[in-house]
Amino acid sequence: MWKNYSLDYAKNNKNGSLSIMAASFIAALFLSLLCSLFYNFWLDNIEGTKREDGDWHGRITGDINEEALKTIRCFANVEKAKINTDLSRNGQGVADIHFHNKRTIAQDMPLIAEALGLTESSVTYNYQLLSLYFIRIPGDDKPRLILPAYLAIVTLVCISLILIIHNSFAVSMNSRIHQFGIFSSIGATPAQIRAALVQEALLLSLVPILAGLLLGLALGFGIVGIMSAAVAKLPGGRPMDFGFHPLILAGILLLSLLTVLISAYLPARKLSRLSPLEAIRGAGELQLNRKKRSCLLSALFGMEGELAGAALKAQKKALRTTSLSLTLAFLGFMLMQCFFTLSGISTDHTYFERYQNAWDVMVTVKDMAIEDFEPSEDIRHLSGCRSAVIYQKAEAACLLPADVQSPELLSLGGLEALIPSLSASGQTAPQSASGQAAPQSDSVLSGQTARQTDSIPPSPRSVPCYRVNASLVIMDDDSFDEYCGQLGIAPGQKGTVLLNRIWDSLNSNFRYAEYIPYVAESMDSITLQRIADTPSADASAPESERQADGTEIPVLACTQDAPALREEYEDYALVNFLPLSLWKEIKGRLGGAEKDVYVRLLSVNEGQTSPDLRESISPEALDALEKDVLSAIGADYALESENRIQERITNEKMIDGYELVLGGFCVFLAVIGIAHVFSNTLGFLHQRKREFARYQSVGLTPEGIRKMFCIEALVIAGKPVMVSLLLTAVATAFMIKASYLAPIEFIAKAPVIPILLFVLTVFGFVALAYYLGGRKILRGELAEALRDDRMM
Amino acid sequence: MEILKCEGVKKIYGSGGSQVTALSEINLSVEKGEFVAIVGASGSGKSTLLHILGTVDKPSSGKVFIDGVDISTFSRTQAAVFRRRKLGLVYQFYNLIPTLTIRKNILMPLLLDKKKPNQEYFEQVVSSLGIADRLDALPNQLSGGQQQRAAIARSLIYRPALLLADEPTGNLDRKNSSEIIDMLKLSNRSLNQTILLITHDEKVALEADRIVTIEDGRIISDRKRG
Repeated sequence: MWKNYSLDYAKNNKNGSLSIMAASFIAALFLSLLCSLFYNFWLDNIEGTKREDGDWHGRITGDINEEALKTIRCFANVEKAKINTDLSRNGQGVADIHFHNKRTIAQDMPLIAEALGLTESSVTYNYQLLSLYFIRIPGDDKPRLILPAYLAIVTLVCISLILIIHNSFAVSMNSRIHQFGIFSSIGATPAQIRAALVQEALLLSLVPILAGLLLGLALGFGIVGIMSAAVAKLPGGRPMDFGFHPLILAGILLLSLLTVLISAYLPARKLSRLSPLEAIRGAGELQLNRKKRSCLLSALFGMEGELAGAALKAQKKALRTTSLSLTLAFLGFMLMQCFFTLSGISTDHTYFERYQNAWDVMVTVKDMAIEDFEPSEDIRHLSGCRSAVIYQKAEAACLLPADVQSPELLSLGGLEALIPSLSASGQTAPQSASGQAAPQSDSVLSGQTARQTDSIPPSPRSVPCYRVNASLVIMDDDSFDEYCGQLGIAPGQKGTVLLNRIWDSLNSNFRYAEYIPYVAESMDSITLQRIADTPSADASAPESERQADGTEIPVLACTQDAPALREEYEDYALVNFLPLSLWKEIKGRLGGAEKDVYVRLLSVNEGQTSPDLRESISPEALDALEKDVLSAIGADYALESENRIQERITNEKMIDGYELVLGGFCVFLAVIGIAHVFSNTLGFLHQRKREFARYQSVGLTPEGIRKMFCIEALVIAGKPVMVSLLLTAVATAFMIKASYLAPIEFIAKAPVIPILLFVLTVFGFVALAYYLGGRKILRGELAEALRDDRMM
Repeated sequence: MEILKCEGVKKIYGSGGSQVTALSEINLSVEKGEFVAIVGASGSGKSTLLHILGTVDKPSSGKVFIDGVDISTFSRTQAAVFRRRKLGLVYQFYNLIPTLTIRKNILMPLLLDKKKPNQEYFEQVVSSLGIADRLDALPNQLSGGQQQRAAIARSLIYRPALLLADEPTGNLDRKNSSEIIDMLKLSNRSLNQTILLITHDEKVALEADRIVTIEDGRIISDRKRG
């Protein structure tokens, strides 16, 4: 019997059935598309992070051999552990560890270190990779907001989509409570009615949901394919493989079906609480249980305002879903826009603004020591080259007597005040920029007297010293002399130029870093030490020399001006610029050179040399310079080259692509929001024929009803907009704070226009829905609507 | 003084083969202060007539004058304003606005006109209808009889030319029914209110001064009582 009834109903009420089927299909399609895209972005992020930072969860540095590996593998949670041969040197082994359960890594790693007889400072974590698994390790000082932000947005949209299904059912079911009242009055039990509703719901929505899921997946596959092809064309881009997890599909299917069942079940439950007579007579009517006044609306719009306010309040429950789903869709859209703007500002800051004038062409010579690099002269004499610097970087430490700190630094409380991990007692190592403790913690001291090398006479001073990281930039002699010339130092001297600045992290953040002098200008020499886990560049150097405690070198100048290089220096590290000739003498004791040599070129600017006019350099000129320098260096070297304009074009392409994807996503969110407004308002109006007939029967004019519609549309669309704006403002304020940006910078670039357009479109669509629904109501037969057929 | 006049009012629903004639050639005249009952069986066309008189429906042909104004050519807006000022409608199912208090419901026609109610008249109406203590309640907090009294109060608040009542007792028990009829009679006597009452209940009809009987869309009898 019920089967016949349901089938008949579905056939006879084609509009209602179609709207349920369409809602189920669209929601399932978007759900599956959204989830599969997000899943693939997530996979791609993990893949990218593994490539850049390495495929490991935790890392231990110290005396690691096969025996130690065995000990590590004994831990139940350790999935695999292996020695990282690239990083292990001179007895200092580095073990990369994977865990089964990554969530307990912060507890497990210290235990492993302890079992190996190492301190906690030997432990490092792959923060970025772990953050992609939603694991945050205490001590990670980066915000890492991208994934949580995306996930939050996706969750919001998923809920919003699920509500579309719920809503379409709610509208149809509510209008049928009257019918079920009749069934009930002739003896159908609530269980029978429930069974009928659930059966009907499944009948209508199962196929559309399955079809939507599969089509969404196919669309996702297509989009990932297109994006992958686009990304692979970019330099350094790698193709994405489409990933698919059956659990996601199962989850969406379950979620959709559950929503359908709940949506069908709710009216059945409502019905079982009503007596058959009540169901026949009064269901679906606007009812208020308590007096409620809409003071604001009635003050603003008079009687019509009061009526609209009362109607909206009476429908509060039904409108709650609409309101929620709209708010979620708006919120998704607005957050996305703000997040996108913020990340754009952040990218500008971190990269383009900073290095815009520091280079034109950059060549990386792979696996090369600067002292063995020969074509320096040829490069310098290239016709299109205005300036060339050939340099290599090296890591070292320096012993810094406490009394050479600059007065500015001392007035802030000295190094210990700026470097949080450098405790007052000075027992721990100063930190490097990555936040990882320097490995050789046992030799790190403050309060320890500096020991001097054999070759350098012992210092008569006996003051406490800090051991801080020193970044060395070794420049070929000509480049160094040119730099000295800029600083007003006589060329040809052997010594170091100190970049005399340290980030005042107490009074500024990393975004708007302010610098103060690091050391007193009077400092005339510096003691450099080798970083323990790096091998000596010159393996043939005598053991005694390699083990030496320090090398004192003269300081030629302390300056605030670094040479124009595309380099970012470690926070809190004391940066030294040295000539190659000096490096040759000390490298045996220091070591620590990085693997590659860099060549930085500035192009001749067609007669102009002012940096302000660098924009006039043509892409062709840079391409030609890039080609020339590559041929000058020759084919014997492994080279990688970039040029500034080309890189900017590539970057712009990437940003365009990124904008396209995000813009598409925003449009997608907007469409969901608008679809909501439309279906809800139409459904809402459809149920209220009789209500409007009553207003008219006491003399409300069609104009008055139109005014009511306008007021309602304003409230229905306005409220979610206001709530979303408020929540977006709070969330954006939080993101601005977490990313240390100045609010004014965001305000200047705030996505006002897209949000305004979106809001206006939404208002437009609500108005359109009201126009269409209202026209139907106003054209309808008043007498018909007033006639109460319920008892006849 | 003639307050209502129907001249050859016809109402045909549908078209072609499925045409249904609800009213044919209705000619009716009602004087000010009359209490007229229109009776007829279900489907006789009495509700159609009331809807046309209440300006919520239009005749297919013929003219209807209320207070000297031809209402059969009204636009929707004109009809609404006319209903508000000149007509009081009472339905079987009250048709109160469920979201407004009884006071607001009653005052609604005045409020729509942005008019201040005459407090004395308002109090007279609500106290004679016995709902003075329920003014701040919502309709669903009242009994059926009380809701119908509120509906009558609403129909009287603008001192309409004509009060149209469509089966006002159809949903009430006998006690409440006779009370409602007494109230209508009271307003007819004390306010000289013209009332047109539609009912299929002979007993209710007998309370009126004049009984018009409709059958198949025609007036078949029109008699005045003593």
